[in-house]
Amino acid sequence: MKWASVLGITVVVMLITLYEWPKMTKNLKKEKWAFVTLTMAGWLLAVLLVFLPSLPGPNDLIDMIFKPFGKLLQE
Amino acid sequence: MIEKGKISAQQMAIMMYPVIVGTGIISVPAVSAEYAKNDLWISPLWAALIGFVAVYIAFQLHKFYPGQTIMQYTEHIMGRTLGKILGFLYLVFYIQMNGGGIRIYAEFVTGVLLTKTPIIVVISTIVLVCAFAVRGGVEVVARVAQFFFPLYVLSMVVIIVLLFPDLNYKNIFPILADGLIPSMRGAIVPGGWFAEFILVSVLFPYLTNVEKGRKWGMISVFSVMMTFMVTNLLILFVFGETTSRYLYPLFTASRYISIADFLQKLDPVIMAMWVAGSFIKFSVVFYALVICTAQWLNLSNYRPIVFPLGFLTILFSIWGVPSKMVESEYNFIVFPVYSFFVQILIPLLLLSIAFFRRRRPALR
Amino acid sequence: MNTISLKRAVNLMLTFSICLLTLFLTGCWDRVEINDLALVMATGLDKANDNNIELSVQLAIPKAMGGGQGMVGGHGGDKPTIVEKATGKTIFEAMSRLQEKVSRRIFWGHNEVIIIGEKLAREGIQRHIDFFTRHPSPRERSFVFVAKGKAIDTLKVIPDLERSSAEITRELANFKIGMSVTLKELVQMLIGNTRAAALPWIEVEREPENKMGLRVNGTAVFKKDKMVGRINDKVTRGVLWLRNEIKLSAVTFEPKGAEGQISFNLLRSHTELIPKIENGKWKITAKVVTEDDVVENETKLNLMNPKIVKEIEKQLEQEIDDRILMTVKLVQEEMEADIFGFADAFYRHYPDQWSKVKDQWDEKFPEVEVDIKSNAYIRRPGMSTSPQGIPENEVKGK
Repeated sequence: MKWASVLGITVVVMLITLYEWPKMTKNLKKEKWAFVTLTMAGWLLAVLLVFLPSLPGPNDLIDMIFKPFGKLLQE
Repeated sequence: MIEKGKISAQQMAIMMYPVIVGTGIISVPAVSAEYAKNDLWISPLWAALIGFVAVYIAFQLHKFYPGQTIMQYTEHIMGRTLGKILGFLYLVFYIQMNGGGIRIYAEFVTGVLLTKTPIIVVISTIVLVCAFAVRGGVEVVARVAQFFFPLYVLSMVVIIVLLFPDLNYKNIFPILADGLIPSMRGAIVPGGWFAEFILVSVLFPYLTNVEKGRKWGMISVFSVMMTFMVTNLLILFVFGETTSRYLYPLFTASRYISIADFLQKLDPVIMAMWVAGSFIKFSVVFYALVICTAQWLNLSNYRPIVFPLGFLTILFSIWGVPSKMVESEYNFIVFPVYSFFVQILIPLLLLSIAFFRRRRPALR
Repeated sequence: MNTISLKRAVNLMLTFSICLLTLFLTGCWDRVEINDLALVMATGLDKANDNNIELSVQLAIPKAMGGGQGMVGGHGGDKPTIVEKATGKTIFEAMSRLQEKVSRRIFWGHNEVIIIGEKLAREGIQRHIDFFTRHPSPRERSFVFVAKGKAIDTLKVIPDLERSSAEITRELANFKIGMSVTLKELVQMLIGNTRAAALPWIEVEREPENKMGLRVNGTAVFKKDKMVGRINDKVTRGVLWLRNEIKLSAVTFEPKGAEGQISFNLLRSHTELIPKIENGKWKITAKVVTEDDVVENETKLNLMNPKIVKEIEKQLEQEIDDRILMTVKLVQEEMEADIFGFADAFYRHYPDQWSKVKDQWDEKFPEVEVDIKSNAYIRRPGMSTSPQGIPENEVKGK
């Protein structure tokens, strides 16, 4: 099941690439880099989340910083 | 400029309205009720102050740096490195905010209607639709908003009118029994939502009539405030003391409609309208995110990064949020403070620095 | 050449991935066909052994329901509804047991009535109500009743005039001839200041012979969430007056110095509770304004005479006062449960004083002094002038 999810994620990422890549002309070099980086990051994160669903994320960091204030306001 | 489209100030106001109302109306009233009890209808008044401040800050900053979005003038004000760091903070915030908003929407849809549908499907479909709208540019998003806005307002009016026989006006008393504090505490969470009005700073550069931007921004804040007040009053009249016990009070109220035994079970209609409202919200925030990211990376075209960012948004909406309970705790305790910090305090800081930078040459 | 093969490869990839995508389309997860649903029309809750709950549901039989009106006579055996029951520790557990023998998926979206058996009502209803507000399907608009005896017996009634007993109860509730309480209102009562609730009391009616019907006959009175007693039909009317819920009322009395009765039909009525705290004395003044029509006149009085009508209005007011006061006395002395909503009235006008007695409201409520000030207006004499069938010279007040 997990590998199926990875396969699904890969397919989605491939579809995005197939949709976008031909639209980018040669002089859009920076865009291509941005696209590749973001897409790869997305793929990597998605796969990571498949295997480690409880991976601590930015929400936890924000929780740590702002929760005390939030609690303070609501007490 | 990265965006070639132009919108009018009125269109901006119409785009901003669902940004707050779209997700805000789903469950924020219940949280207000928890703290403000039967004064919950006063809470939007306090919360709207934050919205007015946000529009004011955005407009003043735009006056200092015309034609620039918050991403661009942050670099001018703070310097390149610090500006980039701050810009990155904004990007993370907006992708988190949009992910969180989409999660609220998806939790609502799966919670009350599509109970067996995996939430990821609900999330992915709305993000996909939003992505296509965003790829179309600011004009497309604006026109979609213009198209849905009247229907959205109409559906609200319909609920209010049809609920008339079930309203108990006495629930409003006693007014301010414990002073102003409870209503202010009830304003904390909607305040977090109102802070999202700082997003007008991304739209100001694309206005055809910038000088009207502040006026229409304020009108937008005002109409959101009125919407919240009316809906809060409505659910107070319907549910009284039990308001805070319902997760989605306005939706439950719409289910309560029954006119002559045949005009009833209107919730799918309401649901459809809310999906439309949420769609506009996510499109606008998504658009802002894409524009900001493109400017942060100095790209000349933002379209290629729409889908990758959409994909990341989906991940952010599920990352670290295993359940509705966690989602609620985050959105109603952490997010308001986070939102206020990022969307009000930092822009305020930017504005004051910009102000003093401007004055210094004059002093010399 | 190279570009063509690349394009072909891309196309191949696209086709392949689209085929793969179909894997995700296997389930439209929440797809339910209407003919796979068993629609619950009414729910009954009874107490079963060992702290269990007995859930009974009235399910609609679509084929009998649809053609119901077209068939004249004949098919007497075609019941439009069936009643199924199961027991469980909770309602949902009972429901899943029930599902074992119902071939269609049980669907609560059309549940219009919840009937609670007397025994269960006496034990407390709060914990059984939660299911109906938490599960996404049931609606808050469902009407709640307390049944004499077992709830399942009321569900089993197959009426003559309506298609199902669920429909009768719903219509009776809409009439507001007795109390009419939806699930939402019940939850409000339970959580509210009054610490009391009132639900309509429903009985199976076997009169005349061989017929079965349902009748709303009084009100079940709850303290917190436990039923403490029942008040009869007449007293219930007084409760409705005070709660400003009276919609239908026939007032009949004999005017002073006349022979025979006069009946009035209530057009509209409005009651306002005005609380007052004076020197530590808690007092409620109920201001009742009613408008009535004369529908029956057995006396010899000429009701076209404004002077006589004025006199009768006064007596009508007195009659209404007496009725309400009788109710107040009974409820205050015997039930000690604030089903009139006095607590809310005090809370809204005197939030500070209220918070002090909040916890002793049960003791305070019977001490509240009640004063009724009613204003009755007789608007029209109906379609006749002087009483019909009496010679002109015998009519009084010509």
